[in-house]
Amino acid sequence: MALSLEKVEALAPDQASLDAARKLLKPSGWPALASNGSGLVWGECQGSGATPYRVAVSETDAGYKCTCPSRKFPCKHALALMWMRAEGKQTFAAAEVPAWVNDWLSRRRGPAADAAAETKDAKPKASMDATSQTAPAEDSDPRTEARAAAARERNRQEREASILKGLDDLDVWLFDQMERGLAGFAAQSTQACRLIAQRLVDAKASGLATRLDGLPARLFTLPEPLRPAAAIEELGLIHLMSSAYRRQESLPADLKADLRQAAGWSLTREALLADPGAMRMSGRWRVVAALSEAQPDRLRRIETWLWHEGVREDLNAPRFAVLIDFVPVATGAASGGYSVGDRIEAELVFYSSSAPMRAQIVHALSGAQACDAPLELPEQTLDAAYKIYQSALCLQPWLGVWPMCVRAARVRRHESQLFLCDSEKKDAPVALPLQPSQFAQATPLLGLEKLDAVGLWDGYRFTLCWAETELGRWVNA
Amino acid sequence: MIAKTLKSKIYPALLAGTARQQLSFSGDLAELASEDVLDATLNALSLTGQALRFERPLPPANFAVEAIVGDKRPLIADSMRRPLLRLLKDRRPSDDLALALAWAFGRCKLRPHPFDLPKIDAFVRSHAEHLGLTAQHWAQQRDTAAHEPQGYFDADDLDETIWTKAPPARRARFIAERRRQDETAARTLVESVWEQETAETRVRLLAALETGLNTGDRTFLEGLAKDRAPRVRALAQRFLARISGHGGEHPALRACLERISRSTTGLLKKRPALTLELPATVKEHETKAWIRETFAEVGCEELAGALQLTETQLVEAAEKDAKLSLALALMATQDRHFDLLAQLTGGQLDGAWEQLSQCGAADLSMMSNEERLRWAGILIHPYKGNPPASYPAWSWLHRSLEGPAPELLIESVLRSPRWLSQLLEENKLGAEWMEMLVAVSPSTHWGRLRALIAPLDPELTRTALPLLDILDSMEKVGHHEQ
Repeated sequence: MALSLEKVEALAPDQASLDAARKLLKPSGWPALASNGSGLVWGECQGSGATPYRVAVSETDAGYKCTCPSRKFPCKHALALMWMRAEGKQTFAAAEVPAWVNDWLSRRRGPAADAAAETKDAKPKASMDATSQTAPAEDSDPRTEARAAAARERNRQEREASILKGLDDLDVWLFDQMERGLAGFAAQSTQACRLIAQRLVDAKASGLATRLDGLPARLFTLPEPLRPAAAIEELGLIHLMSSAYRRQESLPADLKADLRQAAGWSLTREALLADPGAMRMSGRWRVVAALSEAQPDRLRRIETWLWHEGVREDLNAPRFAVLIDFVPVATGAASGGYSVGDRIEAELVFYSSSAPMRAQIVHALSGAQACDAPLELPEQTLDAAYKIYQSALCLQPWLGVWPMCVRAARVRRHESQLFLCDSEKKDAPVALPLQPSQFAQATPLLGLEKLDAVGLWDGYRFTLCWAETELGRWVNA
Repeated sequence: MIAKTLKSKIYPALLAGTARQQLSFSGDLAELASEDVLDATLNALSLTGQALRFERPLPPANFAVEAIVGDKRPLIADSMRRPLLRLLKDRRPSDDLALALAWAFGRCKLRPHPFDLPKIDAFVRSHAEHLGLTAQHWAQQRDTAAHEPQGYFDADDLDETIWTKAPPARRARFIAERRRQDETAARTLVESVWEQETAETRVRLLAALETGLNTGDRTFLEGLAKDRAPRVRALAQRFLARISGHGGEHPALRACLERISRSTTGLLKKRPALTLELPATVKEHETKAWIRETFAEVGCEELAGALQLTETQLVEAAEKDAKLSLALALMATQDRHFDLLAQLTGGQLDGAWEQLSQCGAADLSMMSNEERLRWAGILIHPYKGNPPASYPAWSWLHRSLEGPAPELLIESVLRSPRWLSQLLEENKLGAEWMEMLVAVSPSTHWGRLRALIAPLDPELTRTALPLLDILDSMEKVGHHEQ
């Protein structure tokens, strides 16, 4: 069973939702509870209205749907259904998937959509969206198609021109900041960055705008003496991206793709799946980190970091992958469907990049299973892992976060700052400072002589995500 | 090379502002020079940024040397870590639940997993002394107010060489135990550290000498007449008064005697009768607190002696006065006069358990576990299978015993399900009651208790059943390790 109480806890938007869900655990409140035996459960929950709410949950990826009007996601009904399933005390009758569940599945994106495709074949899609998606291409008028293609191309060109104009404004802004001096940039960065970020949004360079909008927050997480140097690094990077964008045609294809994504050009899941050149990797993946961050644009960015287990056919293929989801902050949803430690068997497709990391699940061969087995990390010191980071930086200079795995490391303390170091002494040791927010949580690791770790390095701070130690597994929570 | 030049020439200019400090592109940087100032300046910014980005972060000059805490206690079972976190982390646990867990850790000689300490920080800091050495180390590390390093020892491991490094309560307990074995040695230990101790610790250590008080203590006690702390002076004076042959003054006893009026009763055989007269300023709701405060420092033997009665006669003389009987019950508890307490609760003092609970926390630190259970048994016995439905009274008993109650109590609940159903009907039963039943139940009754409460509404047992699981697991692991 893929669902566990821990996962239900992680999915709950707040404690109140969990408390409310607990009250729905009585079987009398559920006139119907059923399962198709392959990871799909559904039920009807008697609410305050005349008709019961219909709730469905996909165990494979903890997807859910409820007909209640709650603005919390997942709502208490979905949580209660997952809870009952995780506890295993209630009986779920084996049944055929009803039409309303099939309808929901058909409209879902992501790996569960494949499951929908398998179960829905007997019935046509009911939703209007779906019918428009499946409308046969040969029925469309070639002239209309050509007009639409021309319009798309015109829009693209207009956007390109707009971005280039925005980059000119950006250059002037950067020059102004340099004339003023960057020693005190952090202090007035909030207003300054907001202004130029708005201009870049107008110029349709949303990626660069988000990066600039988030710059003050990133600077303020650093100690004051480090901020001027960090400002130079960050603004230097932004100019690097800006000048690279202007001559993108001369860049290698992967780097160009990186750059366009960083500037704000997005690639839909469908387009990625349809790309025959996109790198695909199948195998068993372990969830090593699940991070969530509210962005200034009121979207929550949920990152699920995966580690490829077992032998890779291509040694240059990535060891790590990251699934990135965006949900509105207002929904309260704070986590994806996966918990740290879960094991997934899936095929992933990677976004084109000089250092591929971001991926989408093409199809999951098995649901996420909680797994206690330790990670089998390669023999790699922190020093070696840092060199790999530097190599990746050469390939993609604006690299944001880089995953690292190390063996035989240890956590050490200097005043109130923790560092990840190699356990063996070296002449020029690498000591990566841990996120200050992890101080309390990582303090119990201090006395341990050796640990195998997985974490994320952002150039300034290391986020320790996972550690295998003599005391068992430690995970960032 | 160019990285070095960028950092030495361009970096300072970027910090100061190019308007103040012109960028100079000479030597290594000649390639950057351009007629377009904007272009050249921004390229210099990018390159300097990259030079900084490729720098390795500088390690600190030295790292702290971490204390080695040799905690030999086994860890709580892995399967119980999640439920424990859920109980202690997700919502603020009730004090009784937290205490039950902390005492179970102490009783079973187990410790929480070190990785969980940050998640249950508040619990660890409140109950560190029961949770093992690692938890104590954690609590001290987190307590920024504590500057002096402390030693970490389990209560059982204390000896004459390290006892001064333990927390005050444990030191007092150690002295009391030592006193039972060797009165002089215990006093000598206290004398050796007396000058360095705080007033609070001096009071605790002196109180620990009450066990086996003898004439050999006189010199030490007389020396305390000039102690800086009034509480120490008063306690020393009281002990001196108790040592036979010493006619020292006992202000607390005098205050009690001022409030007790004596008369006689009986037609054929005259018997003394005592009544307690409260000051007019003491209001009804303050009565019990006043009794506790007034009689706290007086022993049964002292009071009986002052009234020229035996202790049994003293109890009989207070028969008609519920307030004095309550005062005597408090004194009997303090003096560990269980026969007197039984005499009082056997009909003279109705609802002794509830009444004593209303007087405030009972300090049974000087009683052994067996004595505590015997004391609780005396209080519970008169209820005869119908314990009070007062949560504060149960909570008081739980805290006083620092562990499960005598079997008699939980047996009475298990044998009469009506007691529970009555609470349920009166809408008095909440999750905290279920936790309390688990907390006071001895391990021998957990199976039957589970069978009794498991069918109840899940809302009522949401914390009690996990608590039962955890305690059960701890007991098994602890038993196995022992």
